Amino acid sequence: MRRPEPLEIFQPASIREASAIVKEKGPGGRFLAGGTDLVIAMKEKGLSPKYVVDLKRVPNLSGICEEADGSLTIGALTTMREVETSPAVCKRFPFLAQSAAEVGSIQIRNRATIGGNMANATPSADVAPALLALEAGVKIAGAAGERTLNLGEFFRGPGQTAMLPEEILTAIVIPAAHPNLVGEYIKFSPREMMDLAYVGVAVALVLDGKKRCDAARIALGAVSPTPMRAPKAEAVIEKQILTEELAQRAGDEAARECKPISDVRSSAEYRRAMVGAMTKRALLNAAERPGPVAWTERRERRY
Amino acid sequence: MEQLTIVGKPVTRVDAEEKVTGEAVYGYDLVLPKMLYGKTVFSARPHAKITRINTEKARRYPGVVAVITGADAPWTHGESIKDKPFLAQGKVRYIGEPVAAVAAEDEDAAQAAAALVEVEYEDLPAYFSPEDACKPGAVAIHEDFAGYRKADFIVSGPMPNVCEHFKLRTGDVERGWKEADLVLAERYSVPTIQHAAMEPHSAHAQVDPESGRVTIWVANDAPFRALHEIAEALGVANEKIRLINPLQGGGFGSKGGLKVEPIAVALAYHTKGRPVRVKFNRQETFISTLVRHECIVEIKSGVKKDGTLVARQMALYWGGGAYAEKSPTVCIRGSLPAPGPYRIPHVKVDGYAVYTNKPVSGAFRGYGIPQGAWACEQHMDEIAKRLGMDAVDLRLKNIFVDGDLAYWGEQLHSVGLKETLIKATQAIEWGKKQPGARPTVKRGKGFACISKPTRTPTMSRAGVLVNGKGEISVLAGTVEIGQGCSTILSQVAAEELKVPLERIRMAPLDTDVIPFDASTTSSRSTYHMGNAVRRAAIDVREKLAEMACPMLEAKKPDLAFADGKVFLKDQPQMALPIGEVVRRKLGNEGIVRGDGSYTYEIGKDLDLETGHSDHASAFYMYATQAAEVEVDEETGRVRLLRMAAAHDVGMAINPLNCAGQIEGGLAMGIGSALHEHLVVDDQGRVRNPSFLDYHLATSLDVPKLIPIIVECAEPEGPYGAKGLGEPGLAPTPAAIGNAVADALGMRIYDLPLSPERVYWEIQQKKKKTAA
Ligand SMILES: Cc1cc2nc3c(=O)[nH]c(=O)nc-3n(C[C@H](O)[C@H](O)[C@H](O)COP(=O)(O)OP(=O)(O)OC[C@H]3O[C@@H](n4cnc5c(N)ncnc54)[C@H](O)[C@@H]3O)c2cc1C
Repeated sequence: MRRPEPLEIFQPASIREASAIVKEKGPGGRFLAGGTDLVIAMKEKGLSPKYVVDLKRVPNLSGICEEADGSLTIGALTTMREVETSPAVCKRFPFLAQSAAEVGSIQIRNRATIGGNMANATPSADVAPALLALEAGVKIAGAAGERTLNLGEFFRGPGQTAMLPEEILTAIVIPAAHPNLVGEYIKFSPREMMDLAYVGVAVALVLDGKKRCDAARIALGAVSPTPMRAPKAEAVIEKQILTEELAQRAGDEAARECKPISDVRSSAEYRRAMVGAMTKRALLNAAERPGPVAWTERRERRY
Repeated sequence: MEQLTIVGKPVTRVDAEEKVTGEAVYGYDLVLPKMLYGKTVFSARPHAKITRINTEKARRYPGVVAVITGADAPWTHGESIKDKPFLAQGKVRYIGEPVAAVAAEDEDAAQAAAALVEVEYEDLPAYFSPEDACKPGAVAIHEDFAGYRKADFIVSGPMPNVCEHFKLRTGDVERGWKEADLVLAERYSVPTIQHAAMEPHSAHAQVDPESGRVTIWVANDAPFRALHEIAEALGVANEKIRLINPLQGGGFGSKGGLKVEPIAVALAYHTKGRPVRVKFNRQETFISTLVRHECIVEIKSGVKKDGTLVARQMALYWGGGAYAEKSPTVCIRGSLPAPGPYRIPHVKVDGYAVYTNKPVSGAFRGYGIPQGAWACEQHMDEIAKRLGMDAVDLRLKNIFVDGDLAYWGEQLHSVGLKETLIKATQAIEWGKKQPGARPTVKRGKGFACISKPTRTPTMSRAGVLVNGKGEISVLAGTVEIGQGCSTILSQVAAEELKVPLERIRMAPLDTDVIPFDASTTSSRSTYHMGNAVRRAAIDVREKLAEMACPMLEAKKPDLAFADGKVFLKDQPQMALPIGEVVRRKLGNEGIVRGDGSYTYEIGKDLDLETGHSDHASAFYMYATQAAEVEVDEETGRVRLLRMAAAHDVGMAINPLNCAGQIEGGLAMGIGSALHEHLVVDDQGRVRNPSFLDYHLATSLDVPKLIPIIVECAEPEGPYGAKGLGEPGLAPTPAAIGNAVADALGMRIYDLPLSPERVYWEIQQKKKKTAA
């Protein structure tokens, strides 16, 4: 569906100005980042925002910065391609780079932003599970100033977040991580590329020399109304030596606690089964890091 | 044969540069002066009477020039059954059927106005599978079927909604079952898929208010057939219609017959001479143009212990969708060779083309062969397994060879099938077993053989012009649908006139000036149009030779052509460039024209009771494809490791283009094997009409491909050539299916082999073995 009336587009130069526009014009507008979700929703899914506020002229919203306290700040307008190729990300969290590399195609990733992936809040957003497993926070700015939320509190439902209409997602903050942290993201989809996750599983583990799990985070995509953590599955492995058998048990637990739906892509039962299999594989892969991993769901993967 | 200079050479496609640089203008790109924008209103019900249409609000929308409904376009058309209205006539038969149309000054106004057309329906019982639609007592989807104008080969019934019943009767299958040591019956199915050509559908039409002449700009794959179908529907002479064919961005069968043309033409009668464009977006293309037949195949065979096939019986239920389109001929030409390229004494085939309340099915690259092959070739492997025989040996025992009398009564010649079988299986190291990368990942190999007929009899005509500069124009009605015909036909003309390829130009396709051609379908063009262009080039060459005789003081037999010149055979320095011959005789602006025509003369027509014909096809294409796969038992995901495809092309006029066709066919076949399924729910709605959820294979889903060209020359073909466009995807799913069965030790009968389907099949088997 194409919209019949001309669309009003604003290009503010600051966050304050952007919020002010929304305050003034009222509800029904949309922010625009890379446009890879928004423009398609408008052209093909009948979405017709009253107006659009383009954020690309607002300074300091993109870029990746290693902070003094060991945390990593990723500006909301940083593209997926930047995340995927960033030396800092690749070195510290290769599985986060992998999750960004799983999005669409290179052409899409040159436009798509990490903030857009979060703000759009689809259950299958590829970068969300990795960020949840890293216990990332989000910075949100509005007329009243800035606030920080856990990513877990940020997602409220499909397409819904904790942001007010005039609020802008400015950055994603990954807290300082244990030096031994290893992780993995596995996107499961029938096609090798250009496909949405039927299931996405991210894990982040802190293992000691004997593969004992000091900390475990498991996050799932595409199997509940929002990307979710799987605390019961985490509990299965915490403080345990990670074996194939244990990974399988954690997978079974994750399969039980996820809440998938059936749609044209897949049945809920199949998604559940794949959560089990992918959780097991992600855990085993993570445990083999930084060495070469056994389970690959992709013909070509770089991280 | 004389030395060939350019035929047989791997020259780069003549249209490569304009296409890779984006210079090429396709039908979808076309903008005409004073053009109006058309938008279609589609049926929202699968089967219903239209009780009321209100166009008032739409008419009043600013910028709207015309709003039309079925009442303004009381015409019907169809290839062999005239059942399809330009716009719905009081009733709709599928969701997506054009009901009304709007022409407006811009696209947004057309869109907005189309949304204001109100249609009220009274629902009727609807059928979404061919088996349901032909059950005794099913309501007729076409209640006026008996009264439709039809081709004389149409045999309808015996069940409800069957618009064509094809019968093949050879020997006596009952006797065959008694003679056999093993009798095996199975059932396979193939779902609805779509062509998904890169360029969606569009058509532009204009009616000249004074003469009433209709001009249509459309990337149709058979402009002369489309012209005739439109003229016939409108009840006007063919001369009243002109088709101009811009470049086509792929069609794979979906751009033959009439799709958006009727809507554009109907609107053009209401726009006071202004041209109107009707352009479908991707979703509209998915729901309202054409799909490939879903098909249920029942197959039963009797074999001797040593593998000799004795009898085969098949029933094929082709889901035709709401209108007949090409269903009758897909049913005939897909069912006839469905028992496979094997010697079988007792054969009985029943093909039923069945109306359903789904998008219209029709031609799709392969024309019914992939559906039959999916069943037959896996069935052959099951037979081999039960006999404890190697699958290649079973084929070798029964496979068609030169001189065989095929079960449809035709003596076969130039059969390169055996060579394709041997080469394709060798290329994947058939017989060599390898374990999977992990215990739960299994490896397997498989292959499948096919033969494919071409539409017969058909005609192609061509013209070749030579001007005073020695430049050559080829007038041919073959449409460049991406298959490379402009390169092949240029090579043929260049060969016969002995000029460099750069001298050849393909004339734009306009039915006012281009000679008749039946269609760019059925892999027929290289053979038919190749022959016609060759004859036209020889014709003009003879004329040039005659003109050159006095100039070179020679007799015709003493002349020869090379390097763009005509010369004396024993005094090669006595030479004239062919352009100079034209100039000297006719002046600087002179043009010499040659004409050529080719029709394959058919013997007896297909017998309607037995399906027999002594010449069912001008030529046959033979192929074997072989696949190696890896199946992940924990996820059901099938990953292809390599695929080899050996195709008997008769003679490769351009080996590079042959390899391209084979690789493209494989990529398309892989999509249909692993991913593609246009899902229609129990309300008749297409659930995945976009590339988000309709999954074609991407470049990363395609493994290492090994194209193999086999040349078993066809004496009638140009330089021995047959055809190649369609077979590239025909055996692909069956080859992959056999490889998956080999990997898993169990067979999957339904396509696609999506991870989820394979996963549940594995689970089910596990449960069975446990119990
Ligand atoms: C062909 C294709 C393939 C794709 N494949 C994938 C895939 O594999 N995996 C995947 O996860 N996604 C995929 N996507 C979806 C999309 O690319 C991603 O979600 C992307 O990250 C969105 O970012 P964007 O900058 O384009 O967002 P936009 O489209 O600009 O915005 C998306 C939404 O977020 C809001 N928004 C954006 N930025 C902000 C901000 N800073 N503050 C507040 N609100 C904001 C917008 O108002 C809008 O509602 C694909 C899209 C396409 C077209």
